[in-house]
Amino acid sequence: MSAAREETPLRRLARDFARSRVAVIGLAVLVLVMLAAVFAQVVAPQDPYDLAQLDIMDSLQPPGTAGGAGWTYWLGTDDQGRDLWSAIFFGLRTSLEVGILATLIALAVGVAVGMLAAYAGGAVDGAIMRLVDIQLSFPAILIALILLALLGKGVDKVIVALAAVQWAYYARTVRGSALVERRKEYVEAARCLALPHHRIMLRHLLPNCLPPLIVVATVQVAHAIALEATLSFLGVGVPVTEPSLGMLIASGYGFMLSGNYWVALFPGVALLVVIVAINLVGDRLRDVLNPRLSH
Amino acid sequence: MVFRLLGLATAAAILAGAGSAPAATLTIGTSAEPSSLDPHYHNLGPNTRARKHVFKSLVGFDAKMRLQPELAESWRAVDDTTWEFKLRRDVKFHDGSPFTAQDVVYTVCRIPNVANSPSSFTVYTKGIAAIEMPDPHTLVIKTAKPYPLLPAELATFGIISAKAAGGEQVTFDKAGCKADSWPTSQAFNDGTLMVGTGPFKHKEYVKGGRQVLERNPDYWGPKPAWDTVVFRPITSDGPRVAALLAGDVDMIETPPVQDMERLKGTPSVTLAQAQSARVIYLALGVQDTPPTITGTDGKNPLKDPRVREALSLAVDRDAIVKRVMQGVAEPANQFLPAGFFGNNPDVKVHTDAAKAKKLLEEAGYPKGFQLTLGTPNDRYINDDKVAQAVAQMFTRIGVQTKVDATTANVFFSKRNKQEYSVFLAGWQADSGEMSSPLKALVATPIKDKGYGTTNYTSWSDPEFDGMLETALATVDDAQREKLLQAAVKRAMDATIIVPLHYEVTVWAMKKGLSYEPRADQYTLAAKVVPAQP
Repeated sequence: MSAAREETPLRRLARDFARSRVAVIGLAVLVLVMLAAVFAQVVAPQDPYDLAQLDIMDSLQPPGTAGGAGWTYWLGTDDQGRDLWSAIFFGLRTSLEVGILATLIALAVGVAVGMLAAYAGGAVDGAIMRLVDIQLSFPAILIALILLALLGKGVDKVIVALAAVQWAYYARTVRGSALVERRKEYVEAARCLALPHHRIMLRHLLPNCLPPLIVVATVQVAHAIALEATLSFLGVGVPVTEPSLGMLIASGYGFMLSGNYWVALFPGVALLVVIVAINLVGDRLRDVLNPRLSH
Repeated sequence: MVFRLLGLATAAAILAGAGSAPAATLTIGTSAEPSSLDPHYHNLGPNTRARKHVFKSLVGFDAKMRLQPELAESWRAVDDTTWEFKLRRDVKFHDGSPFTAQDVVYTVCRIPNVANSPSSFTVYTKGIAAIEMPDPHTLVIKTAKPYPLLPAELATFGIISAKAAGGEQVTFDKAGCKADSWPTSQAFNDGTLMVGTGPFKHKEYVKGGRQVLERNPDYWGPKPAWDTVVFRPITSDGPRVAALLAGDVDMIETPPVQDMERLKGTPSVTLAQAQSARVIYLALGVQDTPPTITGTDGKNPLKDPRVREALSLAVDRDAIVKRVMQGVAEPANQFLPAGFFGNNPDVKVHTDAAKAKKLLEEAGYPKGFQLTLGTPNDRYINDDKVAQAVAQMFTRIGVQTKVDATTANVFFSKRNKQEYSVFLAGWQADSGEMSSPLKALVATPIKDKGYGTTNYTSWSDPEFDGMLETALATVDDAQREKLLQAAVKRAMDATIIVPLHYEVTVWAMKKGLSYEPRADQYTLAAKVVPAQP
């Protein structure tokens, strides 16, 4: 018993997580990808967002062609003459930025609303949860498309749109766990001490609702990235001169029949790798954090 | 009893089938669908394509956009403001009734009376001041002013049947014709009023699905080779090409340029291509406050002709044609390619990035400025890709350019509110000659005269307007062409419109079919010739 007491929850989590080798590989890939994305400026030989560095005469070069600037287009170039190797790093950065920021905003909004619903109960709960039901009954892509049609283009607008379609998942998740926790004795005790409501919600209820939230949030990052790719593919996402992975795939899609496979293939593989890695990590977190599955 | 009838019917069908050749069907995959079958509802490419199969016009265009007789067998200018048209006597509508001058009068009367028309044909009927019918097969059309374009404008709209629409008594009145009611667009879409004089009769129309036509056995012109023609809208490029390769359709419109190499290498496919009368251009706005330029303290640098010239010099048209259009386009130096009426062979454009930088410096913008270039991304061939290439070229001379690429509806509504300092668009000369782009793109907007209808640059040059007006009032062809060429020169010297390239229209069809490529970009089933057995 004394050994267990020394072990912090975080350390136990890490140990349990590491029992799955696949999940560790997923996490390693994810960390690598994130580093590459953060240091895209350093890693990539070309800044594909700087139009002065592009040359239309270098468009659609197959992988391995020597570029004009003295380095090689290892993955080829797209239809505007962007080096795909560089474009993928920059695209990853946009995709991850959108995915993570949208998830964080949605998480904040969802948790606040869901917690309020669970804690207040009654009519407030009913009203909020019906709103959540309505939102969840529409396909996410439809709501995002409508929002972007109204807001216009841009990375910031895509983040807002994605947050707007995702908050409901968190609201529902956090309300579910909070309702269970609310009836437990420690909350009862806190109420008897006449602690302020916000303190009970934030300091007592929230920490105990975290595990399922972490799992949902991890998976939702992958979902947000995929959704952003879809939106960009449909032409309503990020600006064409600053392509994300989805937009690179979209512009490559037109060249599939003509044999210029690399324009869509490599960004597609990159997107696949990121989403699989996030899902592996998310799955493992769910297994580890779910008390019903452990031990 | 029922069985016996069925049996008889089957036997009859077999006999009929054995007696004649199998029914020839042509299926065409189109890149866009008409917004309505009503020939006068919307002046839009796909609508006109659909119209030309069922409703003929007085005057037609051949494949090179030269005028040719259609329902009118001949015409002449009696004097500067009077035209006489002789109509064909052997034309019957699809319901069997004869075609007469009254049908033309009724059509001209109906055009301003189409409810909710998004883009009306009234611009082409406005010039008509009076119509007389000395006999059922002669029309005398009077115009208020000399109007040399009248025959070309009569080629833009189809003639509907006055009898079918109950308009036998309607007479022309410049102020507005009188009728109890005018046919609705719905009556065309459901087939009731699809009574025309064209080579095909309307059979079936399913929006988003197909339009089926059958041969008009009484057609007065050359008989089409097809008993049945099916138009299937397949708006996505990839699936359209795939449908042709899989044999689902016999012919497709505008295969994407990136697939051209592959199609050329496919033995079961043949291509037909023609230079079109559509120029893709950049328009440079000279608004007092530039909507999408920053870094100039609110001033509009495009008001300086040196800056406009610099932007034109920055554009490498050959690179765009070669890399973005994969060679399926032709670099443009004015509004219409050589060979079209009004083309000025002396007008040239150049590419010179060094000179462009120097001009920017002279104009007081050594560090350039920031610009957002508006473009549709689904209207013209590779439109947003061309815009991105242009943005590269602008950025290289110091004008940091962003591209705002949106779907056509959004783009055009923003463009029409002058929300772009520079935008990319295209202009197809409906009349096949130079006055069309000059009037629409460069002339100062005057709504009543149809001037400057697409001038969203705030450009106004009274001297140019005067030159154009003189040209438009000159009935003599040779003299008018000279005047138009001078106007082209003046417009190009101002560098308000920067021409990029002329689109080349391509059709792909299965081996054995042939199609004479048309400069007006229309796909006409009657002109598709099958393999000789």
